[in-house]
Amino acid sequence: MDNVLKTTEMRKSFGKSLLYTLPMFLITFMFITGGKPNFSDPSSGLAMIMVFLLVNVLYFFMHFKGKTDKYRAVLFIIFALSLSYTLIHNMIEVRKSMSFSQADILECRIPFCHLVIPMMILPAVFTKSIIFPGSIISGFANISSMVVLWLVATIVLGRGFCSWGCFYGGWDDGFSRIRKRPVIKKIGELWKWMPFAVLLMVVLTAALSMMPTYCSWICPFKAVTEFEQVTSVESATKAGIFLSLFGGLVVVLPVMTRKRTQCSFLCPLGAINSLSNKITPFTVKIDKGSCNECFKCVYVCPLYALTSEDIKAGKVSLFCSKCGKCVDACSKKAIHYGIRGIPAGTMKNFSRNLFLFVSFLFMAVFSAGSIINTLHGLLKLIF
Amino acid sequence: MKKAKIIAGISWVFFCLILIIILFPGLNSFSLSVSKLPFMKLNPRYTGGEIADKIISKNCTLVIRKPVFNGFLKERNSGFEQLDWHGTIPEIIKASIDYDHDGIKDFCVLIDRKNSKTVLDPIDRKIKGVLISTPTSYGWAVRIGLIK
Ligand code: SF4
Ligand code: SF4
Ligand code: SF4
Repeated sequence: MDNVLKTTEMRKSFGKSLLYTLPMFLITFMFITGGKPNFSDPSSGLAMIMVFLLVNVLYFFMHFKGKTDKYRAVLFIIFALSLSYTLIHNMIEVRKSMSFSQADILECRIPFCHLVIPMMILPAVFTKSIIFPGSIISGFANISSMVVLWLVATIVLGRGFCSWGCFYGGWDDGFSRIRKRPVIKKIGELWKWMPFAVLLMVVLTAALSMMPTYCSWICPFKAVTEFEQVTSVESATKAGIFLSLFGGLVVVLPVMTRKRTQCSFLCPLGAINSLSNKITPFTVKIDKGSCNECFKCVYVCPLYALTSEDIKAGKVSLFCSKCGKCVDACSKKAIHYGIRGIPAGTMKNFSRNLFLFVSFLFMAVFSAGSIINTLHGLLKLIF
Repeated sequence: MKKAKIIAGISWVFFCLILIIILFPGLNSFSLSVSKLPFMKLNPRYTGGEIADKIISKNCTLVIRKPVFNGFLKERNSGFEQLDWHGTIPEIIKASIDYDHDGIKDFCVLIDRKNSKTVLDPIDRKIKGVLISTPTSYGWAVRIGLIK
């Protein structure tokens, strides 16, 4: 028994953990600081160094402690908060308000986000054009760069994007951690298919109206980014929907259920990302030989991606975002990161090391800009 | 078979590893390539339509765009006509527009910038009202609703 645990132990010695962190250290140094940190503005230089250290300390601890989720979540949640801060700060500085005006729409100055992608597809195929008032290539959050980032992350990580790349996911991830125990313990299984229904609805309505309907009418994250100026009954209704969905699905339900309810029950991009789990090389596998069917993993999974039937069948569902919570919770190490083609229960450390490197590198570099920006803003307030 | 699957899986992983490493340094050039794809252009419903005409007067230019009726699979029955004023714009803007080039004015629009008031005289019955009238970074823009 001890022998089994020993061979599957994910913890590494201090020295070995440092060694594993070295490639991340060097690559993030190049990508975050550009190879030479610039201290001409001391608070910006300091913010850059702090972010560089933060990501590397978190990555080191993933190896040293052998746990994934809590270190991942720290960066994931900071990413979500800092992105909202950056956007709101920009809006208030430039426009003196969190809302965008008709002129911003007419001049195509709305920052693009990956949640628009499902609605772009049909019009792009049939009208050879993009139905979004943003910029194709220039400026902050332009359409081309966001499409490239999402596409690569989705090919590589599959739905892992929803725990390692999305700058919204950290909101409900964060709120789902507030209570120690859930108040609402069970939610009907069928609800987890809801994002596919939302996906179908927004894809069709967007094509018919030639408008990104999810952004215009539903997206809860408008409440923490930017939304249309309230000038009419229609825009007031929209603002009401954004705020209620944010309050309900991103704050209240995650606190009550300890689950990421917005990502589980609403987001249409989450549905597409789930399908991409079929092609990504990284998976979460169940070694039925080691599993004692305690179902701790089912209990902790924040995305309703595991059921007791899945465990008995030895398969994780396509909703899995590779957050690592179940992997950390399993005392038998029966559920683990794996690689497509490699049988469950084998090469666990190898698979985990590769997955952590790839997914964490993506999150670290993708999030660095907005976290530096936020820290810079806070440092300027203090000094 | 098992071995082949393992080799394929590991090769796929290393390909993805390289993809992630080159993603950020290559982001600008990847994005540029994506931006050149045939569908990567904004729909006229967002750009306001192609420029049809320009009327230059003193320090101000009026840009008249082609009417936009773009729909998903076919043109729609309702659309809009966008007018943009660039440059130093007078307090009161007045324009009579023949958007379909049939030699007859289709509508007159009068904008009082100080009070943000826009008055439309819809001469043609295809004119359906003011959709948007707003100051912009370049001056002022108006969208007039149309039906076919
Ligand atoms: S489900 Fe949607 S909002 Fe949630 S992490 Fe995924 S893409 Fe982001
Ligand atoms: S926590 Fe581990 S042992 Fe328990 S059911 Fe899940 S995989 Fe099996
Ligand atoms: S199955 Fe495990 S890794 Fe996947 S989402 Fe659930 S807890 Fe996270």
